[in-house]
Amino acid sequence: MKFKKMLLFAVVLLLLSGCWNRRELNTIAIQVGLGIDKEGDQYVVTSQIVNPSQIAMLMSKGDKTPVMTYQEKGHTIIEAIRRMTTAVPRRIYSSHLRILVIGEELAKEGIGEVLDLLSRDHEMRTDFYITVAKDAKAGDILKVLTALEDIPANQLFNSLELSDKQWALTISVTLDQLLSDLSSEGIEVKLTGISVEGNQQVGETKANYEQIDPEAKLKFKGIALFHQDRLIGWLDEQQSRGLHYIIGKVHRTIEEISCKNDGKISIDIFSAKSQLKTKMHKGNPVGEVHIEAQGNVADVQCKNLTITNTKTIRKIEKKTEEKIKQEVEKVLSNVQQNYRVDAFGFGKALYRDDYKNWKKIKKHWKETFTELPIKTTVDVKIRRTGTINNPPLNKLED
Amino acid sequence: MSFLKFFKKSIDKKSFEQLLADKEKQDSSEQPQSKETIKRSLHENLKKIREAFGNSSDIVTREIRIGRQGEIRVGIIYTDGLINSEANHNFVMESLMFELRRNEVDLKDLAGLTLLNYIKEMVLTVGSIEDVHDFNVITNAVLSGKVVLLFDGYEQGFAVEMKGGKERGVQETTTETTIRGPREGFTENLRVNTSLIRRKIKDHRLWIESKKVGKVTKTEVSIMYIKGIVREEVVQEVRSRIEQIDIDGILESGYIEELIQDDSYTPFPTIYNTERPDIVAGHLLEGRVAILVDGTPFVLTVPSIFVQFLQSPEDYYQRADISSLIRFLRFFGFFTALLAPSLYVAITTFHQEMLPTQLLISLAAQREGVPFPAFIEAFLMEIMLEILREAGLRMPRAIGQAVSIVGTLVVGTAAVDAGIVSAAMVIVVAFTAISSFMVSSYDLAITVRMLRFVFMGLAASFGLFGIILGLVALVLHLSSLRSFGVPYLSPMAPFTLADQKDVFIRLPRRLLIFRPRVFSSQQNTKREKSLFQNENQRKKK
Repeated sequence: MKFKKMLLFAVVLLLLSGCWNRRELNTIAIQVGLGIDKEGDQYVVTSQIVNPSQIAMLMSKGDKTPVMTYQEKGHTIIEAIRRMTTAVPRRIYSSHLRILVIGEELAKEGIGEVLDLLSRDHEMRTDFYITVAKDAKAGDILKVLTALEDIPANQLFNSLELSDKQWALTISVTLDQLLSDLSSEGIEVKLTGISVEGNQQVGETKANYEQIDPEAKLKFKGIALFHQDRLIGWLDEQQSRGLHYIIGKVHRTIEEISCKNDGKISIDIFSAKSQLKTKMHKGNPVGEVHIEAQGNVADVQCKNLTITNTKTIRKIEKKTEEKIKQEVEKVLSNVQQNYRVDAFGFGKALYRDDYKNWKKIKKHWKETFTELPIKTTVDVKIRRTGTINNPPLNKLED
Repeated sequence: MSFLKFFKKSIDKKSFEQLLADKEKQDSSEQPQSKETIKRSLHENLKKIREAFGNSSDIVTREIRIGRQGEIRVGIIYTDGLINSEANHNFVMESLMFELRRNEVDLKDLAGLTLLNYIKEMVLTVGSIEDVHDFNVITNAVLSGKVVLLFDGYEQGFAVEMKGGKERGVQETTTETTIRGPREGFTENLRVNTSLIRRKIKDHRLWIESKKVGKVTKTEVSIMYIKGIVREEVVQEVRSRIEQIDIDGILESGYIEELIQDDSYTPFPTIYNTERPDIVAGHLLEGRVAILVDGTPFVLTVPSIFVQFLQSPEDYYQRADISSLIRFLRFFGFFTALLAPSLYVAITTFHQEMLPTQLLISLAAQREGVPFPAFIEAFLMEIMLEILREAGLRMPRAIGQAVSIVGTLVVGTAAVDAGIVSAAMVIVVAFTAISSFMVSSYDLAITVRMLRFVFMGLAASFGLFGIILGLVALVLHLSSLRSFGVPYLSPMAPFTLADQKDVFIRLPRRLLIFRPRVFSSQQNTKREKSLFQNENQRKKK
């Protein structure tokens, strides 16, 4: 009898559980992109949602766009997202979020509140990239259709990942990295900017990817510098690379140096390490950046250059070192003088090495940083010169 | 509910005492009659035997006369079809009727022997002869393929062993096929089966004990073991469990299996059955007991452990590295056959975040327009698969193939095209079905098929959490099982390091010097040394 009762309870339990968080795949709306802008005192949330039947090869009829965006306003982000249910027939599912775009206006006001929801919600994974819309609204960025990848958010995700590895002018930041930078002492947040190039109106229609050269393209551009959670300015391409050298995030990039005459040599930097230190010298902090880079000769346009000669290689190395040093010093002085924020983490370095002194100067670190003398040393090694020796141009001239 | 109550009441109404009385009555009717010795008159005896068999047409009762003048009347009784009639003609009838007359012996002076002893010792040219005095013994002898001879004027007869008749020969097994290894399989004849094993193990310590089980069928059940390797307690246990069987008929070793297994309420098989003599021989050498039942090619071996149902005889015939890999694959197949549909249901309805984005989108696209929840979808497909499988089994072989083709190709594709099920589900179900064929033992494969539905239910209501709960319960249940005193999960739990050499992997034979500890008696664990050597060593000590 006891066994029977137990069995009955077990069966009832099974039935009563009701599968509380069960959701079938065709009852969820997979949100891949999220854009947040601010308008007055309200957030404008744009959600890019996949239209699965248009993505799958076999089912695709091509009569609808592969993604759809929904836009709602609300005093909080979650309110706006929930309000979307009035327009979206399915539950918005955010675990597969690929990219978060923060509007420039909002970034200027501060992104702290936005991050709270994103990190508090259990459904959000932390592996999506965060970018700032440059000269555009976040909503507009998410509305542009792309050709190569059906899902624009996916295209952004992949191209950011790739350019971070190959070009080193963008910075891929995930939520956990952002939160860690935000909460650390002596370092500031940096995010990649994204903008629409071309005609926004056409970009929002299928006509955009029906052309070989889309009218509107999404492009990563520059790096947004933050002070705490507020956007304070943008770094251009050159300076972005300098910044990457300093923080040791250059995976691969191209450096150009000029020849004696006209023409250029491209060096393919495939490895760059940086050592960033802050030491106390006579009671004052001194910054030190040492960069060690390795590269291959990728492209030679110079005439009469015997590249097989080791002396030439030394010269090229020297020139590249100077070039990198220039770039680095330029961004250092620019950030120190114009933005006055420690985007590089010199403070963090001091915090690690010499916590006692850090505590002393912590309060007026912003002022100290602008005056901080920084010594830059660069060491470049050329490893290979490619599959040919001297440039074929040499012979043409003869 | 009311129906159940009614049913219960109706059972209660029949008083327990009445039931008991009924049973006693039955028992008494089944009990063999008290000893009844044969009479002097042959005519009376034959009449009585004919009556006992209800004049059955296959029971031959023949009267002949022997001696120079045919002065002695002899009755010959046998079952047509159970005996070797040619041998009967040559060695019994001819000896009695022809030899006796030709030799012109004087029946009054028989070299100092009585007539019956003379016939037994000097006339009948056959192997085994028993003296019979009792009617029950006679009927049993007649039914088990003996020729019974009764002599007019004597209260004694002979039962001559003359087993024969048509039987299926030794053929290739159809249920357990291997690429490499012996092809022969057991037959329905117990004697043939024991001889097949004897031919593999030529040692006098291979002992056989026989017993008749089943009050009506009187089926011969033999237990076989190698004295000195087997654990005596296990043999004792098998013996006593078989003795305790009280049933009217044994038609297959499955009856014995159900009646002697440790735990009836488990989906897992705790007794291994096989059609292959090489497997039985291997098990005997490891120190197990084989139970052979007359009338079925399936031989049981005990004790059995869980992993052995995932091992194949071929593991020992192929090279060790290949066998180990394939064994791993089989374990993997076991788990996919058990869990693939439930994992699919759990992940696609509860844990979409676990899927790569691209895969999720592609799965979501396939599910567009599918009217059922994933669980119902999986359930329908699995049920359909089981129906197809069962239908294919029961069909005549030629039609069976057509059924599977119609089932898989036509129904499968049509269901996807019609949007009733998603293509991914068809893949999952097909994959599950194929993996379940990897489980080498049919008994365990059935278990897996059953439990798969339980896991699907758990996955549909609790997600991965439910699957884990189910697995925990499964492991708990498995570790509670025993087979003739041996823990079912051994050698994993309890853990025996020495036995791990032949569980998930099979090490090269050089390293497998010891017999599995769990089966064999403690003294003789080395495979290489002979049993005698070990005995001598013990004596020296």
